[in-house]
Amino acid sequence: MADEPLVLGIETSCDETGVGIVRGHTLLADAVASSVEEHARFGGVVPEVASRAHLEAMVPTIRRALKDAGVAASDLDGIAVTAGPGLAGALLVGVSAAKAYAYALGKPLYGVNHLASHICVDQLEHGALPEPTMALLVSGGHSSLLLTTDITSDVRPLGSTIDDAAGEAFDKVARVLGLGFPGGPAVDRYARDGDPKAIRFPRGLTGPRDPVYDFSFSGLKTAVARWVEERRREGADVPIADVAASFQEAVTDVLTRKAIRACKDHGVEHLMIGGGVAANSRLRAMAQRRCADAGIELRVPRPKLCTDNGAMVAALGAEMVARGRSASDWDLPADSSLPVTEPHVPGRTPATAPGHHH
Amino acid sequence: MDDLDVRVRLTVETAQAMRELGGRLAGLLRPGDLVLLSGELGAGKTTLTRGLGEALGVRGAVTSPTFVIARVHPPLGDGPALVHVDAYRLGGGLDEMEDLDLDVSLTESVVVVEWGDGKVEELAEDRLHIAIHRGTGTAADDVRQVVVTGVGARWRSAGLSGLSVACG
Repeated sequence: MADEPLVLGIETSCDETGVGIVRGHTLLADAVASSVEEHARFGGVVPEVASRAHLEAMVPTIRRALKDAGVAASDLDGIAVTAGPGLAGALLVGVSAAKAYAYALGKPLYGVNHLASHICVDQLEHGALPEPTMALLVSGGHSSLLLTTDITSDVRPLGSTIDDAAGEAFDKVARVLGLGFPGGPAVDRYARDGDPKAIRFPRGLTGPRDPVYDFSFSGLKTAVARWVEERRREGADVPIADVAASFQEAVTDVLTRKAIRACKDHGVEHLMIGGGVAANSRLRAMAQRRCADAGIELRVPRPKLCTDNGAMVAALGAEMVARGRSASDWDLPADSSLPVTEPHVPGRTPATAPGHHH
Repeated sequence: MDDLDVRVRLTVETAQAMRELGGRLAGLLRPGDLVLLSGELGAGKTTLTRGLGEALGVRGAVTSPTFVIARVHPPLGDGPALVHVDAYRLGGGLDEMEDLDLDVSLTESVVVVEWGDGKVEELAEDRLHIAIHRGTGTAADDVRQVVVTGVGARWRSAGLSGLSVACG
């Protein structure tokens, strides 16, 4: 145990300031400060609000994580940070903080990919990630199917959304229904009292000639908006629970169907679901049943590890250390569109970590 | 808007035709141009922008910018970058464009703003307004009514009438 890498991870790609500490696959601390309440009045995330909030929360959140984990900063084997993708200004706060701590402490710096972190976090829940693993990543900004054979070096995108992300569709439908922001938890809550078969909303990109692994949620969003508009024009009450349940059913039906198809096509026996939408109760239940029917083992971390957090960054950083991947350079940039095919940003010359060898 | 504004009305039958309209629009755009897109949820604003991005030859698939508010698509060739903004949440308007932390020069880019009406007009005296109307209710089909209005001297002889060619 003690020789497993002890890594602190910093996540600031969106509206959560997350600092996590792990030792190998063991979670020691997961401190999160959220600016979501400040964003709620805008109905979404505002970049400048997020950047300022990260700046204010950074040092207290790092202190809290170290205290929760009961470790000293000098004991760390490395500092990991989300280098991208995400909001440029928000990422920059985390990357700058990580560089400062790593340099001052004499520890190697690992700039890692936000999406790969969402996959790797499952090691804290269910142990070592099977290789290969199919990952379905669904959040406000992403909807992707990723085939992962080595989370530190080989993540292959099979498909992604061609318009709106799944979480964005939840936010927009919540807006149409007047349920507030963020939309995911509200839709989930209302849907529990609704009939998922009440309205047959369209399943995007599920036709025989459509791309097999890509997603589209824009048409579904429009169909819901139109259905609600029609009701209101007739002066009828909008059955919010039924609309929420039927919409949610359409999203989870397509997500799980395509994920299982991807597993079968590639002979992959493990499906991992991550990202904020993985906290949706209907998605979890439907995936569980369909995976069981298909003989696929499903891994979904607890909801708190599905949404953005620092522990997932620490988890991927620890894996980088364990597999001897090279540290990042001191001029590591925040890259708002870092491709998912780059799980981390290695330095141009290997092993450039500053002195202080133990 | 005044009498000198140039206005073109189009009927767009399908999503594919909307994409093609974006492509024809790209042919008229120059660095520094501002395009304001308005229309209900699901009107086809992102679809139009996708066609525009493809024809401009920029990096990355054009998808909804709602979550990130603004996305920069760098040019693949010599053309301008495409900056795709969703201003829905920018309550304070243009001051906040500065707050988007965009790592790009707006005068060297084509800037497309969804939900920008009443918020970003001061960004440029010359600008193109594109209003997309879809039918409401479930009976409606894919048909959209599009009104393109060129505001300012830039658009008086920019060939906007060519947008309607081969349409529908």
